[in-house]
Amino acid sequence: MSKVQLSQIAGIVAMLVGLMVLPNYLKYHHQDFLIFLTINILVVVSYRLMTLTGEWSLIHIVMMGVGAYTSALLSKNLGFPVWISMPMAGVGAGLIAALLCFPLFRMTQFYFLIGSFAVGEAIRLAWIFFVKPFGGSSGVSSIPPPELFAIDFMDPIPYFYLVLAVVTVCLVILYRIENSRIGLTLHAVHWKSSLSESVGVNTWKYRSLAFIVASVFVGIAGALKVHYLGNVTPHQFGVGTMVFVLIWVIVGGYNTFFGPVLGAIVLSILDESLRDLEEYRPAIYGALLIAAIMFMPKGLESVPPSIRAWFKAPATPPPG
Amino acid sequence: MELFFQSVINSFIQGGFFALWAVGLVLVFGVMGVVNFAHGELVMVGAYTVWVLHSQYGIGYIPALCIAVLLVMFIGLLMERFLFRPKQGDPLGGLINSIGVLFILQVAALVVGGTGPAKQVAPPFPGTLIIQEFLRIPNQRLFSIAVAVAALLLLWFFLTKTKLGWSLRAVALDREAAALQGININRTSMIAIGVSGALAGLAGALMAPISNIYPTMGHNVIITAFIVTIVGGIGSLSGAVLAAVLYAFLHTFVTAYFSGTIATMCGLLIMVLVLIVKPTGIMGQKVSE
Amino acid sequence: MALLEIKNVSKRFGGLAALSNVSFAVEQGEIRGLIGPNGAGKSTMFKNIAGFSQPSEGEIVFSGQTISGYRPHTIADLGIVRTFQETTLFQELTVFENALVGCHLQANTNIFSAVLGLDKHKQSRARDKALEVLEFMGLSQRIDQLASELPLGSQRSLAIAIALTSGPKLMLMDEPFAGMNPEETRQMMELTRKVNKSGVTIVLVEHDMKAVMGLCEYITVLNFGTLLTEGTPEEIRHNEAVIEAYLGGSRKH
Repeated sequence: MSKVQLSQIAGIVAMLVGLMVLPNYLKYHHQDFLIFLTINILVVVSYRLMTLTGEWSLIHIVMMGVGAYTSALLSKNLGFPVWISMPMAGVGAGLIAALLCFPLFRMTQFYFLIGSFAVGEAIRLAWIFFVKPFGGSSGVSSIPPPELFAIDFMDPIPYFYLVLAVVTVCLVILYRIENSRIGLTLHAVHWKSSLSESVGVNTWKYRSLAFIVASVFVGIAGALKVHYLGNVTPHQFGVGTMVFVLIWVIVGGYNTFFGPVLGAIVLSILDESLRDLEEYRPAIYGALLIAAIMFMPKGLESVPPSIRAWFKAPATPPPG
Repeated sequence: MELFFQSVINSFIQGGFFALWAVGLVLVFGVMGVVNFAHGELVMVGAYTVWVLHSQYGIGYIPALCIAVLLVMFIGLLMERFLFRPKQGDPLGGLINSIGVLFILQVAALVVGGTGPAKQVAPPFPGTLIIQEFLRIPNQRLFSIAVAVAALLLLWFFLTKTKLGWSLRAVALDREAAALQGININRTSMIAIGVSGALAGLAGALMAPISNIYPTMGHNVIITAFIVTIVGGIGSLSGAVLAAVLYAFLHTFVTAYFSGTIATMCGLLIMVLVLIVKPTGIMGQKVSE
Repeated sequence: MALLEIKNVSKRFGGLAALSNVSFAVEQGEIRGLIGPNGAGKSTMFKNIAGFSQPSEGEIVFSGQTISGYRPHTIADLGIVRTFQETTLFQELTVFENALVGCHLQANTNIFSAVLGLDKHKQSRARDKALEVLEFMGLSQRIDQLASELPLGSQRSLAIAIALTSGPKLMLMDEPFAGMNPEETRQMMELTRKVNKSGVTIVLVEHDMKAVMGLCEYITVLNFGTLLTEGTPEEIRHNEAVIEAYLGGSRKH
């Protein structure tokens, strides 16, 4: 038992060290890519917490925008240090999410999907309409980077370390939530809602909790993105972006914690290597999505175990 | 005053389009249980077809319109056969597949039309009908609304007066019971998506001469169709038509007197309100306990 | 004072009355049978007691407190738990995890404690409770098996175990014997008695008359949404109105 854990921890530490060394050997735009990929991992993993309750929302990326705008406006207009505005981004997204629970969780399933889409679009239109303070269609620009000693956070490498640290901490927290009592209860709410209620689970509260926590973390992801890019527009958080999140999660597989991570990494790398195709890339994404749904409904995560099973098959008799 | 009368006219014309968009979505959802996110893109393909055939190759507008209808219908049939049918009973799978199609069609439009400014088609029916000095309707719009209303009436006739229409409604009402009565579900689905595609292609072809044509024009279509569908009651065609006209009035007037952004926001908020208060919509059936 | 009092409860769906003006009371420690032909309103009554639906009129009182109108999880918190018709389990979880979900009310934690691990004691107590209940229900040999892999009898035991782990005072059992063979029924009857002896009052909806007559000291009969009669199994068996209701019902079918 402890042996397995030790090797797992060793593996994770090795991966982190590798990630810390990696950017020094990359070209500038690959460093950029690595930063956005790391942020996107937080986006998909926080989305997974939401899907644990069985509800698929289309508002997740808009909550990322809420965090991004919160941090951008606090740091630019009100002069908050970025170190404070970033956590506030999580708080802001969480608060908005808490308010939205009242209308949203009166719906389930298909109605929830469409309802979350509508509310998200309405928020996005509010950013466009209220030029003050959101800056309308062109959004907010010249957002300050974080400041610490003499470190230049405009440079991708220090900023990558910041992102890596924040995302790692967030992932550990999300992992612990999923593997705690709360994760078990979310699972119960998903699969047998009325049985859960009959043993005292307040299903409304747990659905809301998952949504709020997912929003807090995606809000932080939004802040990480916005202080690197230096600008934020309503367009960045459109339903098109949300669809990419869905694709990552579905192609990766949403039955385990690491499925969505795998999806985000593999597809982002693929996307990066298709860079020359420019605006034709969405078609390849679309085809991949269809292929994944048709031929690999359990996602990429289902592939390694099945390969393993295939190799092991002759040695071990089937269980039971 | 002029703005007011003009807005009333515009509302009816908009309402016709909104109804055409929504009815196809409702039909597919009702009969197949699939939310077709690519429905807006089907409309877009209809508009592009007219642009290519009529504006680029000089084929007459009416033949181009007919080809658009057939082409989009064919795309719909392909989607049903290869994407939705294998995912029967898995609404999420069907929905995701339709998102995949959405991307592919958008890129296809980009390949055909290239980047650059939005395309426009010169109105084949120029001129304006002047009823009063303050009340003028461009002939092109008059043509569009007439065709849209005719198409909706035809659909209504098909659904209520023909045997095929009855089987469609039976499947929408209770899939299993319909199957037990010997109704061929697959064939019914083909008909539903064929009709839905034809209406989408028609809507696109009618829009071509009076609006901008660009690859992501379906976005607006699908949002509007959702609002209309939800407010009208999912699965209710008459509800969708009624909601389309009502929403067209709201949208046109708010756009005329305030702004288009506020108009769409109002629509979205009304939709959320309906989802909360009466998820079955204004014309939807009461779900028995 | 009775543990559960149903006072003049009516429930209407549109124009149809599923229950009209039903009153009865269940004493602490009883196994009460609730019987009646199909459509008599037994399931509706259960749903109303457990909070899954609200009475249109009347009142439901539990331990002196009015509970009608409360949400199911609040009612569970007060000590009423229901089991479901057919076997309702978390099929994809293990037997142990199923029981653990049932411990919700004890193990309920907040997100900060969960992340920081401050609720360790609470969780280990919940695990002990789950193991204890599984042992009590004779499932301790199967704790690592998936619920979906259990035979029918054990699945039913597990459903009751989930209910028991929530620490109820009153358990509403909805057709626990449906589809069982005589041997399984006999074992389930024994378990039900055992649960009752451990201090849980039971209300039982069941069509298997032998089981109901064998288990219950007192039986309430519903017919067409009204209270037909109440009495001991002996009285019910010879009651003309009950015989008529059942025969009338079967004649119609």
